[in-house]
Amino acid sequence: MTFDNPSLDPEGLPKVEHAPLTPVSRRLAPCQAVLRLIHWAFIVVVAWVFPVQHELLAEWQPWLAAAVAGLGVIIIAMGWVEARGRGYGLREHDLIYRRGLLVRRTQVLPLVRLQHVETLSNPVERAFGLVRLACFTAGGRGADLLLEGLSAERAEAVKRHLLTRLEALPSAISPKPDTP
Amino acid sequence: MSRRQDAHSDQVALSGWQRLSPWAVVLLLISAGATLVRQHMPLLLGAGAGLAMVERFGLRELALGGVLLLLVAGLLSLLYYRRFRFRLDDDVLIVQKGLFEHREFKVAAHHVQHIAAHQPAYMRPFGLVLWEVETLAGEASSIQLPGIRRDTAEALGQGLRGADIAAEENAPSFGVNGRTGAGQAVVRFAISPGALVLHGLTSRSIYVIAAMLSPLIRPLERWIHDSLPQLDLQAWLPESTLLAIGLGVLGLVAVLALLAVLAAWWRFHGYVLRDDGDRQVQVSGLFARQEQALSLSRLQVVEWVQTGLGRLLGRGYLVCHQFGAVGGGGAAESRRFVVPGLSTEQGRELTAVLWPGLSMVQPLARVDVIYRRVVLLRLLLGSSLLLLAVLGMVGPSGLHAAAWGAAAATLLVISVGVAQLRWMAMGWAKEGEHMRIRQGLWGQRTSIFPLQNLVSVGIQQSWLQRRRGVVTLQLDLANGRLSLPYLPEQVAWALANRLLASVEVGQAA
Repeated sequence: MTFDNPSLDPEGLPKVEHAPLTPVSRRLAPCQAVLRLIHWAFIVVVAWVFPVQHELLAEWQPWLAAAVAGLGVIIIAMGWVEARGRGYGLREHDLIYRRGLLVRRTQVLPLVRLQHVETLSNPVERAFGLVRLACFTAGGRGADLLLEGLSAERAEAVKRHLLTRLEALPSAISPKPDTP
Repeated sequence: MSRRQDAHSDQVALSGWQRLSPWAVVLLLISAGATLVRQHMPLLLGAGAGLAMVERFGLRELALGGVLLLLVAGLLSLLYYRRFRFRLDDDVLIVQKGLFEHREFKVAAHHVQHIAAHQPAYMRPFGLVLWEVETLAGEASSIQLPGIRRDTAEALGQGLRGADIAAEENAPSFGVNGRTGAGQAVVRFAISPGALVLHGLTSRSIYVIAAMLSPLIRPLERWIHDSLPQLDLQAWLPESTLLAIGLGVLGLVAVLALLAVLAAWWRFHGYVLRDDGDRQVQVSGLFARQEQALSLSRLQVVEWVQTGLGRLLGRGYLVCHQFGAVGGGGAAESRRFVVPGLSTEQGRELTAVLWPGLSMVQPLARVDVIYRRVVLLRLLLGSSLLLLAVLGMVGPSGLHAAAWGAAAATLLVISVGVAQLRWMAMGWAKEGEHMRIRQGLWGQRTSIFPLQNLVSVGIQQSWLQRRRGVVTLQLDLANGRLSLPYLPEQVAWALANRLLASVEVGQAA
C-alpha cells in the first residue's frame, strides 16, 4: 500500500458555484403541473365528498375543499416557477444538478463514483417527451442523483457521455461488471 | 513458504468443486427445526390449539405426520447439500445453489470488501464456521457458505485476497504508527474484562435491549395487576410512593444495565484486533465466535461513538464503515466492524492506525452561531405547542398561574441549554487529506474520513439562509449522509470544491 499526499492550491480549484448550468427542458414545468394537478384534484374531491356527520362541518365542507384547491393552485404555481429555475451542468469530472425554489439545492456527483445509469419515464412524462436520468453509486439503496426534465434525445446523449466516461475511468471502485 | 505461495497452493486445492460439510447440513436442519418449533410454539400451546388438534386427528396420526414432515425435511436437506457447491476459479468465487431454482453467484476478488467467519457454539465441536463474503454493493449482496471447515474458510479468504497479497509483497512496507510489513500480525487491541463491562454500560445496546423488551410491558402489567393483590407487598415496599417509584426505576435501569453488560460479554468476550498488513482482523464472542477481516483499502469512514455515559466515563467505540452500510441504527451497527471498549486515547491511537497521517490535533471549528438561534426557535415553538396542549387538556384554571409561569420558565431554560449544547457539539475540521465531523447532543458521533472517500456533495440553502449568507453542506458518504448546517457560504463552497478535487485527484492516483 502506498501513501501519498498531493497538495492542491485552494485558489486554483475549479469552482462549482461558477460552473455554467444548462436549464432543463421548458416542458418540465407543464409536465410537473399536470402531475400535481392530478394529485391535488384527487385530494380536493376527497375533501369535498368525504361523508361528514357533524352538521357545522358539513356546512363548511365546500369551503374546506375550496381552501384545499387554493392551496393546490399555489403549490402548482410554485412548482411551475421552480421547474423553470432548474438546471444541470456536465463537467469533465462531475455532474451538477440544481433545483428548488424556497430551499435551493445544488448536488454534485463526481463521475468516478458512478456505478450505473438508468432512464425512467411515466406516461405523462412520455406525453411531454421527457425522461428522468437516475445515477447510482456503489452500495447506495436508491438513485444518488435524479436528473429530471431532460428531453429524450438530451437524456440519451447525457447517458451515452456518462457511460463513455464510466468505461474510461480506472476501476478502483467502478470495476468491470460480473456476469451472473 | 511465503504468503503468496501459500495462497497459490490453497487456490489450486479450491479450484475443484467443493461442498458444504455434511455435519453443517444436519446442524442447519436441526437449527431450522428448532426455529420453526419456537415460532409456532405459542400457536400450538396457546389457547389449547395443540390439544384441539390432538383430539381432532389423534396422537398417533399426528406423530406419523411429524415423522413424515421430518423425512421430507431430511430429503430436502440432502437435495440442498447436493446442489450447494462452490469453487475458486482463479480469483473468482463461484457458488451454485438452490432447491427449486438453480442460482449461480460469481464474486471477483476485486469486488470483495468484507469477509467474516462466524462460529456458533454448536458448530465448534465439528470445526465448522459460517463463512460470509460481502461485495461493494453492501450488506444486501452478502453470500453465505453456511458450514465449511475452518481451514477451507481461511484458504478461501486467502484466495480472494491473492491479488492484494501479491501487491502488498511487491510494495515497500512502511512503519506509519508502528505498522509492520506484510506477514507479521500485530495485536493492536485486546479487550480487558473491565473495559468489556464499561463498554456494556456505555454502549447503545442498553437502548436496544429496552426497545426489545418493550413488548413485555403489557403482559408484565397484566401479571402485576392480577398477582399484586395476593402478594403482601406492604411488608417490604417503602411507605413513600415517590421512594417506591424511584426504587422501581432504579431497579429497571439496573436490570437493563446488567443485560447490556451480558450482551457485551456475549458479543465481545475475548476481543482481539490484529493488524495484518493491509487488513485488520478481529476475533470475538463468548459462545458464537466471530472473525471479521477489514481491508483498509475498502475502508470508507471511521466513526468514533460516545454515548452520554461514555463521555462521562471517557469510553467509546469505533465503527468502521464500508460501502453499503447505510443506516440501520443500533441493531445494525452490531453487525459491522466495531472496536469496543476503548478509552479516548486508545480510540485516537487506533484511528491513526486506520487513517495513516491523521493526528487529530486540529480543534473542531463550529458552525455559524445562527444555527444555535434556529435550534432555540424550533425548541421554543415545540415548547409553546406543548404548553398549549396542556392548556387545552386542563384548562387555564387547571393549574395555578405560578405553576404555568414555572413550567414556561423551565421549558425556556431547557430550550436554551439544549440549543447551546447542540451548537457546541456540532463541529468540523479539515486536517490535511482527512475530515472530521462531530454531531450529537449528549452522546456524540465523530465521523472521520479521507476527503477522497466522498460519494457526492450537496449545498442546500433555504430563503432564510440566503438572507444570512449561510448554507447547509451535505456530504454523502458510503455509510450515509452527513450534514453541516449553517456554514458560511464561502467556506462551504470552498470546502465542496476541495472535496471534489480530492475525489478526482485520489482516483487518478
